[in-house]
Amino acid sequence: MQTTILLITLVLMAGVLTLILRTVRATDGPAPSQTVNRTRSWLIWAMIAGGVIISVASLREWPHADAGGDALVVNVTSGQWWWDTDTTEIPLGQQVEFRVTTEDVNHGLGIYDPDMRLVAQVQAMPEYINKLVHTFDEPGTYQILCMEFCGIAHHDMTYEFDVVEAN
Amino acid sequence: MTTASIGNETAIASTQAPVVKLTMLLSGVVFLLMMVFGLIMRAAQGGLIELDPEFFYLLLTAHGAGMVGSAALSGAAILWYFSARYLDLRGGIYLGFLGLFLLGVVLILGSIFVGGYGGAWTFLFPLPALSGGLWEAGAAVAFCLGYVAIGVGFLLYYLELGLKISARYRGLLGGLGWRYLFGGSDADLPPPTIIAASSVLVFNTIGIVFGAAVLAASIVNLLFPSFAVDPLLAKNAIYFFGHVFINATIYMAITAVYEILPTYTGRPWKTTRVFVGAWAAVVIFVQAVYFHHLLQDVNMPAWTLAVGQIVSYASGIPLIGVTVFSLAVYIKGSGLKWDLPVSLLTLGVIGWGVGVIPAIVDGMVAVNKLMHNTQWVPGHFHTYLLLGEVAMAFGFAAWLVRDAARQTMSGLDKLVFRAYVLGGAGFTLIFLWSGASSIPRRWAVHYEDWQFQSQLASVFALVVILATTVLVLRYAIGLLRRSP
Repeated sequence: MQTTILLITLVLMAGVLTLILRTVRATDGPAPSQTVNRTRSWLIWAMIAGGVIISVASLREWPHADAGGDALVVNVTSGQWWWDTDTTEIPLGQQVEFRVTTEDVNHGLGIYDPDMRLVAQVQAMPEYINKLVHTFDEPGTYQILCMEFCGIAHHDMTYEFDVVEAN
Repeated sequence: MTTASIGNETAIASTQAPVVKLTMLLSGVVFLLMMVFGLIMRAAQGGLIELDPEFFYLLLTAHGAGMVGSAALSGAAILWYFSARYLDLRGGIYLGFLGLFLLGVVLILGSIFVGGYGGAWTFLFPLPALSGGLWEAGAAVAFCLGYVAIGVGFLLYYLELGLKISARYRGLLGGLGWRYLFGGSDADLPPPTIIAASSVLVFNTIGIVFGAAVLAASIVNLLFPSFAVDPLLAKNAIYFFGHVFINATIYMAITAVYEILPTYTGRPWKTTRVFVGAWAAVVIFVQAVYFHHLLQDVNMPAWTLAVGQIVSYASGIPLIGVTVFSLAVYIKGSGLKWDLPVSLLTLGVIGWGVGVIPAIVDGMVAVNKLMHNTQWVPGHFHTYLLLGEVAMAFGFAAWLVRDAARQTMSGLDKLVFRAYVLGGAGFTLIFLWSGASSIPRRWAVHYEDWQFQSQLASVFALVVILATTVLVLRYAIGLLRRSP
């Protein structure tokens, strides 16, 4: 997923860059035509239309989905600089609702798959319980890394749990 | 340029230009120093040097605060310089602003390198009070007071701008151009620089007030720990302030493009209805968009997160559809002769326009779940700062000391410009690649699998630093040559 995001972003950046460079390098060419303002209007309206489509498509299904009634609840507590969960084994294919909090400062719960690819995250905040719903579709040892700077041992704030085949 | 503005130019040159030039030198030196801090951090992450994590996080804090501070300082100098073409600004106010700014710098540097404060430039509540033994409360208080001093300086600066704009353009609405936009009257229509100045002073004043409130709460919490603040409320205030403040730096610096580019193209940057409308949108968007920093704070109302995503995208429309598009139109077929100042200024707009794309992508809730607080984030903001605001600042500085008789780039200028672009682009692209590889940001120690990207980034950082060193030296030598 991240690779796709990177490629789309790079293509968009390259596209915009190419269009700008083509114009600003043409200093000795002809001046912009009389229709330039119409072109600008088209560009703005196209961007607005694109924004509406992207917004509807990406928000229609709310990315922070609520858990279903049969979700496994996993409580996650944290502090400088540790994580703790009430289980270290999570069944494969089972929807999980992580309920995340912290005893001191802000942390970030980042769940990394066995290939060290970030699959989901949520903030951990003092005085609040933040819910993260996720279904694991690959077995193996997953890691929790802290994603929010929390002091001198921020980079040591890691934890492991296993996603196992259900019996 | 009108006769009146040329007259004002003379007045600026005789009174306020020296202190603005000094400000740009100060900004340039601090930019360079902070880049060196950045290189040290990337080299440490790449395993190229040994660095104590404690010192890494001190450098991280200094790098963040120092870069934001120098961007703000250079942006403020640029805006002041060009606003003074149209307004009778008092030099004493600028000196007061600069004095408070320097006081803030002393407090911040002292808190970091003497007091050991390493809570990052974002001072996310309640981290300043819970250091895990790394620093005492006094160091965190000094850090916060440093911000307060800088904020007060900026409020003074904006008060002067606001008073003079209101007096000259019949109120702030006149300065914003909203009377023209909504009332249709184009009498006494302000130039683009004044529209920008009015807009920035409105949103950045609001941002600084929120920042001051949360800083005051943090200071009281540090001194009297029983005084508690809601962490989510504090987070909202901090990100609102931080987002608005860093964005204001670019919106101040863009006035250099409005004022300098026409001297190369012969085409004045015009105040049109589209231009005023775009700035009106910016005033709203730059404030409403801060929710995109909280997309993983699921206790926020869902509508705020949706607003964060939608406004992130919308913010790109005035930038690409108006500013970048106008730049291209003004340059195309103008016969412009490229020299170092105009090349850097143009780079600044392009870097800003291109850099907003990964920011918009990360502003989507679903994408943010995979990219938030990875190196994707420094990837996008380094693009529109290093290749945006900072490029504009160096372009303005180069213009201040330009040789008007020479209209081309020397061999050294070409080399420096290309090195800056190549180094900057490589450096920022590696951040994006690292973000897509799920490497978290702000980690002092990187796993072995992540180190290659940091090593490569260090090489590009070194190239940027070498180019910047020449830019700063070139500017300093230019100042010395022009001093009486």
